Amino acid sequence: MIVGPQVVARSAPEDTVTGSFASFISAARAEHLSQTVRQRSKRMILDSLGVGLVGSTTRVFDIALRYCRLYSSVAVSSVYGKPGVKLSPTLAAFTNGVATHSMDFDDTWHPATHPSGAVLPALLAASQMLPQNTKPSGLDFLLAFNVGLEVQGRLMHFSTEAHDIPKRFHPPSVVGTLGSAAATAKLLSLSSAQCCHALGIAASLAGAPMANAATQAKPLHVGNATRLGLEAALLAARGMEASPLILDDIPGCSGFSAFYGVYQPKPLPAPGQQDHQFLLEKQDIAFKRFPAHLGMHWVVDAALSVRNLFVNYAGSFSPALIRSILLKIPVSKYINRPFPSSEHQARHSFQFNACAALLDGEVGLGSFSESSIQRQELRELLGKVVVEHPEDNVANFDKMYGEVALLLHTGDVLTGKCDTFYGHWRKPLSKESLLKKFRSNASHVLPEEKVEAIIALVDNLEDLSDSSQLACSL
Amino acid sequence: MHHPCKMWAKTVTENFAKVIHGLNANQLTDQVIQRSKRMILDTLGVGLLGTSTEVCHKVAQYSKIYSSDLSSTIWGHLDFQLPPLYAAFVNGVAVHSMDFDDTWHPATHPSGVVLPAVIALSEAFPQKKKISGLDLLLAFNVGIEVQGRLLHFSREARNIPKRFHPPAVVGTMGSAAACAKLLALDQLECKNALAIAASYAGAPLANAATQIKPLHVGNAAKHGLEAACLALQGLQGNQQILDMESGMGAFYTDYNPQALPTLQSYPWLLDQQDVAIKRFPAHLATHWVADAASSVRRKLVENSENSLPLDKIEKVILKVPEVKYVNRPSPASEHEARHSFQFVACSALLDGSMSVQSFTSENIHRPALWELLCKTQLEHPPDNTPSFDSLYCQVTVTLQDGNTISDCCTTFYGHWRKPLKKEDLEKKFQSNALGILPTEAVEGIIETVYNLEKVEDCSVLSTFLSGQSARALTEKLRFL
Repeated sequence: MIVGPQVVARSAPEDTVTGSFASFISAARAEHLSQTVRQRSKRMILDSLGVGLVGSTTRVFDIALRYCRLYSSVAVSSVYGKPGVKLSPTLAAFTNGVATHSMDFDDTWHPATHPSGAVLPALLAASQMLPQNTKPSGLDFLLAFNVGLEVQGRLMHFSTEAHDIPKRFHPPSVVGTLGSAAATAKLLSLSSAQCCHALGIAASLAGAPMANAATQAKPLHVGNATRLGLEAALLAARGMEASPLILDDIPGCSGFSAFYGVYQPKPLPAPGQQDHQFLLEKQDIAFKRFPAHLGMHWVVDAALSVRNLFVNYAGSFSPALIRSILLKIPVSKYINRPFPSSEHQARHSFQFNACAALLDGEVGLGSFSESSIQRQELRELLGKVVVEHPEDNVANFDKMYGEVALLLHTGDVLTGKCDTFYGHWRKPLSKESLLKKFRSNASHVLPEEKVEAIIALVDNLEDLSDSSQLACSL
Repeated sequence: MHHPCKMWAKTVTENFAKVIHGLNANQLTDQVIQRSKRMILDTLGVGLLGTSTEVCHKVAQYSKIYSSDLSSTIWGHLDFQLPPLYAAFVNGVAVHSMDFDDTWHPATHPSGVVLPAVIALSEAFPQKKKISGLDLLLAFNVGIEVQGRLLHFSREARNIPKRFHPPAVVGTMGSAAACAKLLALDQLECKNALAIAASYAGAPLANAATQIKPLHVGNAAKHGLEAACLALQGLQGNQQILDMESGMGAFYTDYNPQALPTLQSYPWLLDQQDVAIKRFPAHLATHWVADAASSVRRKLVENSENSLPLDKIEKVILKVPEVKYVNRPSPASEHEARHSFQFVACSALLDGSMSVQSFTSENIHRPALWELLCKTQLEHPPDNTPSFDSLYCQVTVTLQDGNTISDCCTTFYGHWRKPLKKEDLEKKFQSNALGILPTEAVEGIIETVYNLEKVEDCSVLSTFLSGQSARALTEKLRFL
């Protein structure tokens, strides 16, 4: 089925339910409060205060309070790229998690989630929290990191829904929160019972809807996953208790199953035994070469391939010779955007990424700047794009492909196809490519010595005696 | 559940905990080590680069607030304060800690997610900006209204929940709306506050009846406040968050959002539908059981020379709606006891009424109670729908001689159809607050709330809440 170029219809604010709510909130006035409403709401306020006051005598309150008092003056955790700044651990984790996902440049796994951003910031922050004589070693850190990944991976296998590109809840906010809780629990050496509660507490902090993907709020999903998972573990360490059946399937009263339509939990094999293998062993990760949604990488590689053909054919890249551009992509609403208007949208647009690759011969950081997005030549090229969803192109990071065909005015057709982009788990980045990406990224905010120091620290992580050095080096 | 391999723990959850706890560095293979180090390196680089983004600047600005002197009252504490976000959290936890707070229809706990946030926020405004009682009252009602309207977007919401705990879903949104109102955000910022809040919403029901449940309310308050603050910093989310199935619709299986009525003589939901106020700290459904059981006890005592013939009781049958998470035949903790039809029925039969004291450890573990519990059964008549608007509870005690004493409660005292009288609402407040605050502060709060719309500076409320001596405050208690 061929779908022609679509005109982006912007709903007027008053037309949307969301807009009506926003209007109401900002426009409501005291005069609008009726007598009954005033009276009833004051009764509610009074009752709520009393209930809260008596509630301050409970054990759960005690735990929550002791936890919060930590933050009155405990700014001990480093913030990426800001050597002079320290924040309290959960807020540092939050900020660093947001940074990690801010450009959609972070790793992606299969089944789909962004596993590292949900775990690493929490561990870094926690490592700085612990007193000097109990600092975890580099190996402890690496172990905790892998526990966090493993839990996320295992949880995603509980639902067949997870195999495909998500539609309802954004996976990092679901499994990521529990992954962070598990990793932190491991680093803090919590007991088995406490680890259980950490998962339960984290579940009550999980879950963000997909609609905020491709908006500026999306990075918060990873920031909150890592922060709230850390919080869950800290609360569990202080004795907070949650449902011990949070991952199990209890009909009539949802636990973690609340986030899925189909849910079949499976136990994890005991570590060290024959049948346990870390999922990372069998299933590697994809690293991105440019900061955009993973799906874009197929389309870009296909576009670059057909661009080469075109340049050979015509001597140079001449858009005027192109009648239309046919993209064959899987069905996924939130990455199908014919005319993106913000950097966040551009990072989630098959059409944009294909055209940027065609026009520039590469896609990088600069491709998503405001000026680049608004370029006349790019908008013109976007106008020629037509999208097709072949049935065999499944919305699944293990199976999808990208195909870009240039239909020229002469009648000739040039095609480029990509099954596996460079950086995908089937074609992993070489060590040199990975280091190149790191150096290029880190040197934006850190001097060369620091950049090289971090590389050395991570390379020798298992031999480090105090893993908080990593956090301190940022 | 289908799992081919042997379960070496009783539940999947326990199993996960055991693995997390039990994994050690020896189990890391070389490949795993190598791959994970690549991931760590890449993530650090990506994160470092990301610090230069606008979104990151905004959250960093926001987070720095918490290393400054901004702080808010913790109800009942004069000895210290906390940053507003955590004050909202802690006070929100306090409000729901005993399941003693209000309940609405469709079901949620509307006040606990809003009040702590707006009070904490009201204290955080710069000195020159006074927040009046009326500002507070308006913001509070905006927060309540938004929650109520959202609950009407799904038929699922009419019944006692099964999947997500409503305060964690609509409560976060309500808190965001209320805080947005108090902060006087413009329309675009209000939209973003809602959009951002949605990404914090949602907690599964399985954590009800555990110690973590109160955090659902605390977190809703805190995260709604955070969302509003982030929106104020200019952070943007999906402008159609309430419209989309992949937005708020993610939390429901049937979702039909509707626009709000126009502001002309605005029809507040609270006007049409009051809340229920609890008389004792337990799940709302148990209130019907308590009233019916107390009534049965009275009849039993009358018929048996003014004493309760405990050993003559053969069976206790409770006809209740089917609500799994309140069906607990042998609750072992206070949280479970607060969510147990059976516990409340037996407690009320034994003591004649329920109170805060009914849930102490000694009372939960009384032998006489356990004897009765063993004789108690539940029945779920098909006409007993799990909705707070229509459910009923019938308690029937069968004696050894074959006689039965029965009572049915369709509307307990405190329900919206039979609201607490002013004196009884006050009595509940006084009884709760007197253990924590001095008398003058207790009376000061009552007076301030009753005259809230005339209070010039609502910080007087916070001062009372912290327990400061009211004598120093009489001159602050100024009405317009």
